[in-house]
Amino acid sequence: MPGKILVLAEHRAGKLKSISWEVIGFGQKLAEQLQQELKVVLIGKAIECLADEVSRKCGQKVLTIISDRCEAYTPEAHCQILSQVAQQESPFLFLMGHTYQAVDFAPKLATMLGRGFIPNCVDYQIEAGRLQFVRQVFNGKINLQVGLKGEPPYFVSLQQGAFNAYEVQSRQSPRVVNLTVPLPEEMLKRKVLEIVQAAQGKVDLSQAEIIVAGGRGLASKEKFQIILDLAHTLGAAVGASRPVTDGGWLPKEHQIGSSGQTVTPKLYIACGISGAIQHLVGMMNSSCIVAINKDPNAPIFSVADYGIVGDVFKVVPVLIELAKEIRK
Amino acid sequence: MRILACLKQVPEKDSRYKIDDTATGIREEDLVFETNESDVYALEEALRLKEKLGGEVVVLSLGEERVLKTIKSGLAMGADSALHLTDPAFRGSDAFVIATSIARAISDQNFDVIFTGVQSEDMAFAQTGTILAQLLGWSHATIVMEVNVSEDGKNARVKRELESNLFEVVEIPLPAVLTIQSGINQPRYATLKGIMQAKKKGIRTLSAQDLGLKNSQLGSMGSVVDHQKMFFPEKKKKTVILEGTPEEAARTLMERLHKERCFSRWPSAERNSLCLARFWF
Ligand SMILES: Cc1cc2nc3c(=O)[nH]c(=O)nc-3n(C[C@H](O)[C@H](O)[C@H](O)COP(=O)(O)OP(=O)(O)OC[C@H]3O[C@@H](n4cnc5c(N)ncnc54)[C@H](O)[C@@H]3O)c2cc1C
Repeated sequence: MPGKILVLAEHRAGKLKSISWEVIGFGQKLAEQLQQELKVVLIGKAIECLADEVSRKCGQKVLTIISDRCEAYTPEAHCQILSQVAQQESPFLFLMGHTYQAVDFAPKLATMLGRGFIPNCVDYQIEAGRLQFVRQVFNGKINLQVGLKGEPPYFVSLQQGAFNAYEVQSRQSPRVVNLTVPLPEEMLKRKVLEIVQAAQGKVDLSQAEIIVAGGRGLASKEKFQIILDLAHTLGAAVGASRPVTDGGWLPKEHQIGSSGQTVTPKLYIACGISGAIQHLVGMMNSSCIVAINKDPNAPIFSVADYGIVGDVFKVVPVLIELAKEIRK
Repeated sequence: MRILACLKQVPEKDSRYKIDDTATGIREEDLVFETNESDVYALEEALRLKEKLGGEVVVLSLGEERVLKTIKSGLAMGADSALHLTDPAFRGSDAFVIATSIARAISDQNFDVIFTGVQSEDMAFAQTGTILAQLLGWSHATIVMEVNVSEDGKNARVKRELESNLFEVVEIPLPAVLTIQSGINQPRYATLKGIMQAKKKGIRTLSAQDLGLKNSQLGSMGSVVDHQKMFFPEKKKKTVILEGTPEEAARTLMERLHKERCFSRWPSAERNSLCLARFWF
């Protein structure tokens, strides 16, 4: 399979995002297996230093598209640029992280070019010389193997953390090449007015030694109280999955996951949480994970060290009593 | 304002699945279905926009007869009318085929805004809305947490969720497709009056033929990605499942954790709970 793999790297505040390093590492591995060339694509304003740094670190060719009109991300500029890159480079594969940006532009780009976009992949296979990706469906309970269809280029995004075993290698061909793509102003329909940081909450879960977290399985704000009680007796911090903060049972700052905090406590007790990938990425590096869930097939059990298959409203009160006993 | 809200019906979250004989789908017999979570938030946002600027909300769902339940619950929440795209040939379609079908169904209907959910709980491709916008030649914004449409109905100012607790505020011209993230609002429940009124509201049914789509453009043939097979994931970690009654399991767990010194730092952890206590009590 001769050809090229292009890794679309993302950056913020002058630094490459960690997911993009992960994609580069995996891209190198795949390029080696398929005997293809790898290039990294960077889009932005004033990214010369970053491009140098990336190129030196991975020893790969970096293709930059630099424009004042790319200071803030817009889907129109990204799609215009990348369709031109596709034309010029005739890549086999576009690889990117499954980020808020990829979700926003990749389906548009693929459709513009009459192709498909395979999002959020967690694994890959090469079967009889054919490349296939694996992604999670049905809330992580089933895996779906997806094949590439039609002519290249193919568009694939990778789930954060799923490919971090492939460390970035230092290859021997560092180089930065700049490409100019005209971006007429009237084409840029989306105007970015501001980027804001959500108000920093009082709760910093990243330092907590023990976190007791509750999910939708707790059923209501009133019933969620037992999670607070267990946390209190254990001297633990309280975490939550997104539905809990969406529903206003707890303030947003308690949310753990891809749109909340990332935590690595010594002990994480997940109660009534199914273990959707967006939750797992925020807590799966905890030292010890306990899951309490009535559904034995809940994906949370795939990352748990200890599991209790049962009703949180029966198990948690006993834990509270036992914790009180131990504390005496 | 003419506003469309797209609703997908998906299996209930706690469902247990069986993969079908073709290994490309799941067996539906024992499943209970509900409206996709973020789509409910999308419909609520559509209804609020109508309440603010006036106009009409249409709900659309693609799928077999069972999705009428989702359509009716949308009408009961307050939508004015509905479109039901249904045809056996839709089975096995990917997001591209579904977006193509929706685009055909609404091409002559002068919508100003289309709301969809961010992604479906079942296939989670997160792209039907974005592809739809591209096919219609419209603007779009994904993962939307706030919507403000200008009085003249020409622009929308929306807040998008980004990583690491960042948000961006962007302005896009209408017509546009907005994919709505959970938590943007608190969706209303249907009232008894709403349920009664829903019975009188119109549901228009459209088949693939009505949309001018051939079999080769539908299902897996028309799809741009190749769904090859489904399988159950292997466990990555060896989980010790603690058996017994809730009391026994809880006791074993506490013993194990105690032995592994998970609680060795109890006293210093106290401040975490105090921090929470201030908020809660
Ligand atoms: C862009 C994006 C970002 C996201 N970011 C995040 C994020 O940062 N954090 C996050 O958590 N989610 C996030 N999500 C949402 C995520 O996809 C899931 O929807 C969410 O994590 C599910 O939360 P849950 O496990 O509490 O609920 P569910 O998936 O509904 O699971 C509830 C669980 O409780 C169990 N249960 C029910 N009753 C009981 C009982 N009595 N006893 C024991 N168990 C019981 C059920 O078996 C089930 O497994 C995001 C989604 C998107 C699209």
